[in-house]
Amino acid sequence: MRNTVNYFLISPALLISILIVFIPGLLTVIVAFTDWNGVSTTPNFVGIQNFNELFVDGIFWKALLNNAKWTLMFVTVPIVIGLLTAMMLLKRKKSKSAYQLIFLFPYILAPTTNAILWLNIIFNPVSGVIGYLKEIGIPIESPLSSVNTALYAVASVDIWHYWGFLTVIYLAALRQTPAEQIEAAYLEGCNGWQIFRYVYFPSIRPTFNIMFVMIIIFSFLTFDYVYLLTGGGPSHSTEMLSTYAYTFAFSAFQVGKAAAIALFMSFFGLLASCLYIWMSRNDLKN
Amino acid sequence: MKKKLVGLVTIFLVMVIFAGCSNDSKTTADGKEIITMWFWGAPPEHQETLKKVLIDKYNKSQNEYELKIEYRNSVDKDISVALSSGKGPDIVYGSGPSFVIPLAEAGRIENLDKYAEKYGWKDRILDPIYESGTVNGSLYSLGNSLNTVGIFYNKKVLKDNNWPEPKTVEELERIMDEAIEKGMYASVTGNKGWKPVNENYSSLFLTHFAGGEKVYEALTGTTKWTDPAIIAALDTSAKWYKKGYLAGKDYTNLTFNESTQLLADEKAPFFFGPSLVYQFAAQSFSGDKAKDLGFMAFPTKDHQTNDPYYTLGVTATLSINAQSKHKDEAAKILDTMMTNEFMNEMTKTWPGYWGIPLKDLQIDTSDMPELSKAYAETIKNMVDGVNKGHFGYYTGVFLPPATQQIFLDIESIWNEQMTSTELMKKVQVEFDKEKEKGLVPPIPKPSE
Repeated sequence: MRNTVNYFLISPALLISILIVFIPGLLTVIVAFTDWNGVSTTPNFVGIQNFNELFVDGIFWKALLNNAKWTLMFVTVPIVIGLLTAMMLLKRKKSKSAYQLIFLFPYILAPTTNAILWLNIIFNPVSGVIGYLKEIGIPIESPLSSVNTALYAVASVDIWHYWGFLTVIYLAALRQTPAEQIEAAYLEGCNGWQIFRYVYFPSIRPTFNIMFVMIIIFSFLTFDYVYLLTGGGPSHSTEMLSTYAYTFAFSAFQVGKAAAIALFMSFFGLLASCLYIWMSRNDLKN
Repeated sequence: MKKKLVGLVTIFLVMVIFAGCSNDSKTTADGKEIITMWFWGAPPEHQETLKKVLIDKYNKSQNEYELKIEYRNSVDKDISVALSSGKGPDIVYGSGPSFVIPLAEAGRIENLDKYAEKYGWKDRILDPIYESGTVNGSLYSLGNSLNTVGIFYNKKVLKDNNWPEPKTVEELERIMDEAIEKGMYASVTGNKGWKPVNENYSSLFLTHFAGGEKVYEALTGTTKWTDPAIIAALDTSAKWYKKGYLAGKDYTNLTFNESTQLLADEKAPFFFGPSLVYQFAAQSFSGDKAKDLGFMAFPTKDHQTNDPYYTLGVTATLSINAQSKHKDEAAKILDTMMTNEFMNEMTKTWPGYWGIPLKDLQIDTSDMPELSKAYAETIKNMVDGVNKGHFGYYTGVFLPPATQQIFLDIESIWNEQMTSTELMKKVQVEFDKEKEKGLVPPIPKPSE
């Protein structure tokens, strides 16, 4: 009887996992080896043709490189800003909550809202800040229009919306650091950096590690801000694996190729998960 | 063990049954059958026009059915996904014949031959447009409106600067050079938020610089896409982009709406864009300003023809879902849309999107506002041009989907990420593959 109840309790989660994770995942793997166009009922098995075509496709490699650059930016800039801000907020007694609320605000807004805000109020060459600067004679162009700067401009918007969230997470973890360790460090004559390096950071390391890995995973899945701000342009300079897969699936009717790209994205997510497991094991050993 | 298994199966079945108990009713409260159509997220005033002219009229005309239109911003994607799972609306909106072919070949949309015969569509609809909606000789879609890419211009700007209406490419370039010198945009346009805008410019340069006949040869396989005339046309597009003839450095930062506003604000003499832009112009060219907006066919290189030459396209296609329970009624609705009466009524308040491709176009502009008159005139001239065979091709209409995607990369040539020849080599590879799969729509022949 007890077992039946147990099965009953796990069945919703199990069913959901099977229906919306396992079966679609398996279908994606199968579709990657076909020429399915998304509507046909008779897709043909094409072996590794989709992968071969991707390997000789310069845009695919560009998207992969952009994802790598994106990951590099996200594992550095927002983490540094988030940690610094969290450390500064740690000392503030009364205003801490207000600051957290303000920093978290862009994160709780819908990506569409943020994108419209930046496109129309900041980057707009007619009515936005860029337009105003041009109007008063400053020779400036929207960074979204150059193939050299568009990726960094889009990443900046995404980082702007994301770093506040990291701040809140890091602050919550920092507050768990035992007060006696901090006091002892002060008594031993540690400076600010040493207290962070040898007391706070080891204390928040599990949180830091999981956020680090999550950032890597999300970086290879990133889609919303790129799609909303540039659609992968100009000239694929902001193309990501996700936006490229979307184009194949919904514009070119090449769902097989889109599935092949999705497998690459999953592969990098898997690598990041392995990294997390390795870091967790090392933590346990130490 | 057996009990456990029975328990599990029971739980699973109960959950599946509950999950399946969704309300799939397709009737109204008063028992009318609902006919659905999905449409792109048109602005409220245009939705109101469609309601008055199509929905209300149809619903009042009989008591058995009720037409409902859902407006969706991601209509193309939604329709592909819905149709692939055997669902979706009764009337299927598509973004062009090349969008329709995979759906037709998969049996997701209905063969319209019997309705074409019943309603005489072949006799009423312009041949090139009718043919472009056929797959393997059978009709699957109807173009809802003619669309061409040309020159919108601000008459007041031309007059104030003593610029004539340009009749040749050279005149056009001279005016744009002078506009840049005066601190204006040479022309305004942009693909912000919608990369497929690029198709207007790949189509424009192919039609007016390579020529319709050359593109016809490439589309029918008698010449390669790497033909020198096509490469030269794309090189010209890059030259124009670099010279700032396509909105300077703001091409990726402007929408059509913002571009028409700039044109109305006299920041530029021209806006090279599709005739469907009339629907955006109503906001910026309102009141007395409406008379300042002009539209002309784009001049052809080397004066290949003295008559206006048009890039032939449609704004969208309409088909019938193969799973629809009300196909006959859906066809009846399509038929009401393929009439002069529907065009006149829609164009009165929604110029730009309902230039019905009729052979015998009868436009009554007597009580139309300025912009609607201008649009109606544009479509009438285009029909005359198409009937004479003076046309090239919209890439989004006459190229299969994957090849079209490569053409959208024309901006890669402009930004020196690849050469015209490299892009056209990619096009040729993809085009050959899609041609072999039968994904190229029938290609109407232009006059020589």
